[in-house]
Amino acid sequence: MTKSITLNHITKIEGHAKLELGVKGRKVTKCELSAVEGSRYFEGLVRGRKYFEAHEITSRICGICSCAHVIAAISAVEDALKIEATEQTKQLRILLTLGERIRSHATHLYFLALPDYLGYGSALEMASKHRGKLQNALNLMRTGNNIIKVIGGRDLHPVSATVGGWLKLPKQEHFKSIRKELEKAKKDALNTCKLFFSLKYPDFESSTECFSLVDNDKYAVLEGKFTSEKSSFDKHQYKQFIEEYHEPRSTANFVVKQDHRYMVGALSRLNNSHNMLIRNAKKMLKSSKLRIPSKNPYHNNIAQAIELVQCIEHAINICETLEIKQENVIKANIKAGNGISAIEVPRGTLWHDYTLNENGVVTNANIITPTAQNLLNIQEDIKTFVSGILNKKKEGITIEIEKLIRSYDPCFSCSAHFLEVKWS
Amino acid sequence: MLSAFFGGEMELNAKTLYVFGNEFLDFDSFAQKISKEISKKIKIVQAISPEILLDSKDEELLILDVVKNIRKPAIIEDASRIMTKNIVSLHDFDLGFFLKLMNEMKINKKLKIIGVPSKGNAAKIAKEVEKWL
Repeated sequence: MTKSITLNHITKIEGHAKLELGVKGRKVTKCELSAVEGSRYFEGLVRGRKYFEAHEITSRICGICSCAHVIAAISAVEDALKIEATEQTKQLRILLTLGERIRSHATHLYFLALPDYLGYGSALEMASKHRGKLQNALNLMRTGNNIIKVIGGRDLHPVSATVGGWLKLPKQEHFKSIRKELEKAKKDALNTCKLFFSLKYPDFESSTECFSLVDNDKYAVLEGKFTSEKSSFDKHQYKQFIEEYHEPRSTANFVVKQDHRYMVGALSRLNNSHNMLIRNAKKMLKSSKLRIPSKNPYHNNIAQAIELVQCIEHAINICETLEIKQENVIKANIKAGNGISAIEVPRGTLWHDYTLNENGVVTNANIITPTAQNLLNIQEDIKTFVSGILNKKKEGITIEIEKLIRSYDPCFSCSAHFLEVKWS
Repeated sequence: MLSAFFGGEMELNAKTLYVFGNEFLDFDSFAQKISKEISKKIKIVQAISPEILLDSKDEELLILDVVKNIRKPAIIEDASRIMTKNIVSLHDFDLGFFLKLMNEMKINKKLKIIGVPSKGNAAKIAKEVEKWL
């Protein structure tokens, strides 16, 4: 029997993705995942602009991950200009990043992933019967949002962070209110863990290498070496290890590490840094019965749930200890140079790389998103996974593929609801 | 911007007006322009994302937003009349989806949306809107 499945319109990576699958007998003969979005040219848009504009422009790559791009761009520019941010600035950046991760994970888990597991087409359909669950989500999203609003000055595309520091510092009393809200959100995060631990996930193992930043003594957020179970390297060496390549069918690049696929995201972070989780997050990992390291991409949902607890605890720690001092933005000593940043954002490691000329103008830019890094891994996982479920009906196979794609929480994850399936 | 079936009008009595839209898009920024012309004393919040509605202490959510395909201001009180697609990405988590979700979750808030067209004389429309504040 020969059949083909074409999944068009996997919307997002700020556009669309598509999967073409060919099956002959019991063998998958073709499996091509591609981004078919219109090119967005952000790296081109940054070229010719001043160093202090890069984060404002790249923030617009994504409304969901705008904080991530702001911090990544600022960090890379500071790397180029040899600016060392103050400890206060670093803590504020971490807090902003944690707020975004809380908001993003809660939204993905409840509104995109959960309906699959409860047998609904969308969160709206499940709202009346599962009100409590969605209330947990809304509480968490609001907490994340409020952190971003207070620290970043705006709940989307934050405006307070800049090269060399903070344009408008939050007041000390803001940390009390954030902390209070975080304390309340703990319960929602723990409920999320219990819920996602109780779901039944397919038994599947990806033949991949799990990469994330690993810091010396804490669960990495903005610093650390890019590390897997096999290797570790500094961000400045990334071009020696990571290679982007273009497939004519796709407008998003594919990324490999020394010719091999790899995976980034919450599960990779958990695999590599589980021993650095804060108290309650560590307890949750234990109660999840998840065997670490796990290479089952469906477990990314469990990892995100545990990270909700981790992010809340980490953010509370910052709120308890940070004493805001009035600091001026560090003045940049403009010079030519190259700067690289690698930071952990909701979907994995995000890379920004800028070259500046002697006037502080960006002459070259390179951005590698977590979704681009996961793209090949998702494709190869689908190929392997589908081989084991070919006895299912077409609709069943499609749903399982969608669940697999969504478990990675790629920027196009959810769009699988929109898939048009063509069989022949 | 909302897509909705629209109908009757009625007086409003709310404390905060949540104004939605995207200031960078001509077709979606008109509610914000109108809100700047409102002289009546009312707390106006320029809402960037719909989750802000969860913070409202008012019994009634009062919202100003552009509604597609209307020529004059109109009141929408029933969230089920707002046309939304299924949420297919985090980017679809917009005001329309959020209001429907609140409705489905039976979050007890009365809803009153002052829908305005996407273009026109902002000062003139603001006067009409003020009658409902």
